[in-house]
Amino acid sequence: MTPPATAGGPAASGTSAGGRPAPFPATAADTSRENPWPVRALAQRMAQYVDRAPAAWIEGQIAQLGRSSAAATVFLTLRDAAADISLQVTCARSTLAALPVPPTEGARVVVHGRFEFYAPRGSLSFRADELHPVGLGELLARLERLRRLLAAEGLTAPERKRRLPFLPHTVGLVTGKASAAESDVLANARARWPAVRFRVENPAVQGLSAVTQMIAALQRLDADPHVEVIVLARGGGSTEDLLPFSDEALCRAVSACRTPVVSAIGHEPDHPIVDDVADVRCSTPTDAGKRVVPDARAEAAAVDGLRTRARRALAGWVDGEAARLSRLTAATVLADPLAPVERRADEIGRWRDRGRAVITARIDRDDRDVAHRRAQLTALGPAATLARGYAVVQVGHLVLRSVDEAPAGAQLRIRVADGALAARSLGTEQPDPVDGTADGGPAAPTRAARRARRTT
Amino acid sequence: MSNRAAATDGSGTGPDPATYEHARDELAQVVARLEAGGLGLDESLALWERGEHLARICTRFLDGARQRVEAALARADED
Repeated sequence: MTPPATAGGPAASGTSAGGRPAPFPATAADTSRENPWPVRALAQRMAQYVDRAPAAWIEGQIAQLGRSSAAATVFLTLRDAAADISLQVTCARSTLAALPVPPTEGARVVVHGRFEFYAPRGSLSFRADELHPVGLGELLARLERLRRLLAAEGLTAPERKRRLPFLPHTVGLVTGKASAAESDVLANARARWPAVRFRVENPAVQGLSAVTQMIAALQRLDADPHVEVIVLARGGGSTEDLLPFSDEALCRAVSACRTPVVSAIGHEPDHPIVDDVADVRCSTPTDAGKRVVPDARAEAAAVDGLRTRARRALAGWVDGEAARLSRLTAATVLADPLAPVERRADEIGRWRDRGRAVITARIDRDDRDVAHRRAQLTALGPAATLARGYAVVQVGHLVLRSVDEAPAGAQLRIRVADGALAARSLGTEQPDPVDGTADGGPAAPTRAARRARRTT
Repeated sequence: MSNRAAATDGSGTGPDPATYEHARDELAQVVARLEAGGLGLDESLALWERGEHLARICTRFLDGARQRVEAALARADED
């Protein structure tokens, strides 16, 4: 409910009877320096305005409780659980007396009532007609409802969880001053990574202003660019002690952080709502200390391991390649490059030899053939006879067989062993007296001629 | 097999083959035809001369190859 604006305030109270002008301006806007409202006019209008505010159930923590037990009305200050906002509440003593256990300061209560403007002192207070303490059961039930609400909004969804940086530049730590949780986180982190840098915030982690201070601390760390992870740590405590860590405002602040948040609240069984919205939940502060930084020794060992494996792999590879190369170069093809050339040369040699063999055989055969034919020629030829002293007479190309073929004057060719003579025929020779044909006439052929005719 | 053998029509040697393989193939053909026989004297002589010519060409190819190898080996020994 917002306080009434001074300008444009409520309409003037009813019109005055009989149309006479009201003794003072009808609306606040009509007021002026010369014609102002008296205090009572404002108060009266304020009272009317406030009366119109509806009743409501309000929850908060009792910050102060009026000591005077005599007065009929009890005054108390109700403070918001999460914000630095308080409310003056008045209620009848009987209302408090009706409670089985009178509430004490710090108790969480829920009240029902309406705003009331007490004109005489111009004070605004919340008139409570009912007041009940908020029991632990009720509180837990409410926390579950809150958990489901945040879950429904998706604030606890796993895909929202951010991964923690492998090695944060600076680790933000929100924890109680000089608390066990603080030393646990610092000791464990430094044991793993001695060079880790912390920025520690020590807000109240319990009581009335815990939530607001923690939210402020969270936001300061979130704003610091160097802080790359924030640890929210608190040692063990009762359920009430851990209540601030289930506060809706804190949870929303955590989920609003851009920097990943690690929650390490209480011991293993404790499970405040902030665990759900944090990016990583650790069961204890010690756990968180270990979780945010890598283990220097383990990392160094891993790097050395990789280096030796790389070196061995490389050496292995080089050896393998060298072996393969030597196998290749040892191949006969490379070792004896001339072999293929020689092999081909031999082949050509063989072809050439065969060619020669064939041609010599062929020529030899032809030689033998010619010699054979020549032998036949000589055998058929007159040479041997001539050698024995005979001669061959030819007329032209024909061999002379009869005297008739060579009449006197005919050109003759007489071949003897060593050559040939040219001669001319003197005609038929007169036969010697012995065979009686001396007259040289042609009348009777000579015995030689007759013999010659018979043999042809 | 290239039909280069037909070029040896007895009228002298045909064109020189471009590669060692062509020369060797033709040489093989020439020898085969010679061995088959049935040729005139002149034709046989011409064919035989072609064979010798081809053999010389092959040998020249192989000598060239041998030199290249030896040159390469010499270079290899240097570096």
